Amino acid sequence: MAHSDLRDFFSTLEKEGQLLRLSRPVDAEPHLGAAARAVANLTDRGPALLFDNVNGYEHGQVALNVVGSWPNHALMLGMPKDTPVKDQFFEFARRWDDYPVPVERREDAPWQECTVDEGINLFDLLPLFRLNRYDVGCFIDKAVVVSRDPDDPDHFGKQNAGIYRIQVKDVDRLGIQPLPTHDIGLHLRAAEERGENLPVAIAIGNEPVITTVAGMPLAYEQSEYEMAGAIQGSPYRIAKAPLTGLDVPWGSEVVLEGEIIAGVREIEGPFGEFTGHYSGGRRQPIIKIHKVSYRRDPIFEHLYLGMPWTEMDYTLALNTSVPLYQQLKKDFPEVVAVNAMYTQGLLGVVAVKQRYGGFAKAVGLRAMTTPHGLGYCKVMIMVDETVDPFNLAQVMWALSVKFHPLHDIVTVPNASVLPLDPSSDPAGITHKVVLDATTPIAPEVRGHYSQTVDAPAETANWEKIIKEMLK
Amino acid sequence: MTNPEISQSEICPRCDERAVRVMTTSPVPGVWTMFSCDVCFYSWRSTEPSYATDPATYPAAFKVDPSTIADMPVVPTVPQRRS
Repeated sequence: MAHSDLRDFFSTLEKEGQLLRLSRPVDAEPHLGAAARAVANLTDRGPALLFDNVNGYEHGQVALNVVGSWPNHALMLGMPKDTPVKDQFFEFARRWDDYPVPVERREDAPWQECTVDEGINLFDLLPLFRLNRYDVGCFIDKAVVVSRDPDDPDHFGKQNAGIYRIQVKDVDRLGIQPLPTHDIGLHLRAAEERGENLPVAIAIGNEPVITTVAGMPLAYEQSEYEMAGAIQGSPYRIAKAPLTGLDVPWGSEVVLEGEIIAGVREIEGPFGEFTGHYSGGRRQPIIKIHKVSYRRDPIFEHLYLGMPWTEMDYTLALNTSVPLYQQLKKDFPEVVAVNAMYTQGLLGVVAVKQRYGGFAKAVGLRAMTTPHGLGYCKVMIMVDETVDPFNLAQVMWALSVKFHPLHDIVTVPNASVLPLDPSSDPAGITHKVVLDATTPIAPEVRGHYSQTVDAPAETANWEKIIKEMLK
Repeated sequence: MTNPEISQSEICPRCDERAVRVMTTSPVPGVWTMFSCDVCFYSWRSTEPSYATDPATYPAAFKVDPSTIADMPVVPTVPQRRS
């Protein structure tokens, strides 16, 4: 079920009616960003978009919304496209436990077909474009960026494959946002302490599992490639980039190699972010590109992000929810499922079987102190184990009838949060809250919950009958 | 009224500096030109709507005063060299 590359995934999407090919001529702006926004607005079952006639290019191809729906997310996992989100969550969590799966090293990567070492012009190679109206320029925002720890360059697990926003500042010069908390931020810090530039490889246009895993909050020494193997259910194929020796996906469309220049910071941004707001301008590192390897007529894969929901929310939904689930379950096996897919987990919903009164509130507070929770988990909604946290109708029901405003709010003052949260003040600090919508149990005895309305006999059977008739 | 052709080639829509250069042109000749500002690194394509290309209509909230760039937050900070 593993897809060898982006084109292989497109074959699956096409068979399932989840790929839209667009051959009408389009101006890069505003049409590419507009189409990606539009498909996210229209449906949560939308197709990937593949444009192949961008004005100014002979063969420019741009892919958008590749995993921008639940059917496409299920197909990425090799599951039927109608698989419910909750089932995708449990399968994702099950595969997570298979980590690590050793990689498959290959020497015959398709991106070795063409190379450029001199006179590099990324605009000749790729149909770069401005995504949202007031972005500072063109961005590469869905590439797997690979770097190694300069103090331990032979450690495979410390090699990092992550996704960072990259501003195209010139034909061969980029700006990058490696936050100090990111693994690449640690690599850059070590390189700059040593007075060295940091070599990087930027792999553009990949099958979606590595893109998903590269956005996961893995431990520093965990390999994204070995996790990708676990999630796709077979060894992940990698190949060495020729200039830097960094390991990149075998199936990439384009591999850029260069280095982050030590000690240089330059104005970057704004960029329309996943919070639905533009980030401000900051002085950030730059990358000089020295070598480009690519397939002939490469596909430029781009992520649309902005006001949720967008492809970014589908891409990050389960790789945010599953780590939180695993970490909470370790201490509290009563945790049944975690839905942390709202703005990367700024808001989360946890289904938990209560041990005793007050237990759910404690689990909600624990979520805030997980590694991911330190920057997210601003609002935690706790629901009973009988409530599906992925079903918002059920969550809203629980909040409306189980939650008591006097007893069920826990506020944590002045907690840490990611600075991009526009409500944080100062940036990076916010109050956090647990909203406990579980049924009170002893010793917390209150309310009138003894007579719930259960489903009529034979309901489960009728679900099967009707589902079959709808096929 | 600003002449858009002069604006695109001379004045940055975002920081209003006369530091504009041609970054590149379309692979198919004559379709578009990418401009870039050497002060604030804003870039734009000649075929974009005027909100992105014209200093007169570029929104005030997104303008940048070049004198403030040096004081913008540095992320991540540059560490000290190891001795």
